[in-house]
Amino acid sequence: MKKFVLAFSLFSAFALPAIAQAREVIFTTELQNYGGDGAYLALYLTNAAGEYHGTLWVSGEKPKYYKHLGDWARGSRLDPAEYDGLTGASVTGGRTLKVTLNLDDSLIDSGYEVRVDSAVEDMRDVRADVAAPLTTEGSGKPVSGRGYVRSLTYELQ
Amino acid sequence: MKTTPIILSLSLLILSGTALADDDCDDPVASWQPRENLREKLEAEGWTVRRIKVDDGCYEVKGRDSNGVKVEASFAPASLMMMEWEREDEDDDDDRDHSKRPLNSGPTNANTSLPNNGIVKGRPTVTVE
Repeated sequence: MKKFVLAFSLFSAFALPAIAQAREVIFTTELQNYGGDGAYLALYLTNAAGEYHGTLWVSGEKPKYYKHLGDWARGSRLDPAEYDGLTGASVTGGRTLKVTLNLDDSLIDSGYEVRVDSAVEDMRDVRADVAAPLTTEGSGKPVSGRGYVRSLTYELQ
Repeated sequence: MKTTPIILSLSLLILSGTALADDDCDDPVASWQPRENLREKLEAEGWTVRRIKVDDGCYEVKGRDSNGVKVEASFAPASLMMMEWEREDEDDDDDRDHSKRPLNSGPTNANTSLPNNGIVKGRPTVTVE
């Protein structure tokens, strides 16, 4: 019995706060009808100083083209450990990419920004196509892009 | 008489086009670091470097990265910043099936490994609508 109490206490002390700290966030990226091949997109976070902090998702499966996602490529140094398990197919014009993931609560309202770099074959590369501060207040409010991205919306669950 | 400026313009156009199309490394040779520096840097990061050669102004490295993946990667010779990264067993064949891949219309994950970058917890759910 004592062992059970001890185990439960330890679980409560370590595991429960960890669960409570993770927060589900839905990132919705709507693309313009730009009339080209599928777009490569990198969704990533920058810190309050504007420096790369971490990768959220990469659309586009061939790493040899990742260098065209300029700011993200520079920040992540294209280290596969940064994007392993976080890649999928490129997204064609007019479509909407919806990524649902769990983020540490401490990243919200702390000066972090969600950015999207975009690139399309034979068309220009767009660094920070869209950038949106990751705040409670900004949840659910679309932010317009300046390249292939029509808008980015995130929803804190 | 009038052909000279046209030829000159065309030559300049062709030359500038070549320069624009070239996205390889352009570090001045005087600022290049020795390739041993790159080898040491990569080995410190857990790479196994098989060969380093100069290609299109970049250092081209063949070997295995810190995850044991067989890669071919290019680095700027002055900053040693990675310019390009490619799995060596992925050849241009996958260019052909690029268009064949169906667009996602439901939940998907392109690869099966779990993210481990310390930012994303667990596997994301992704849809393209």
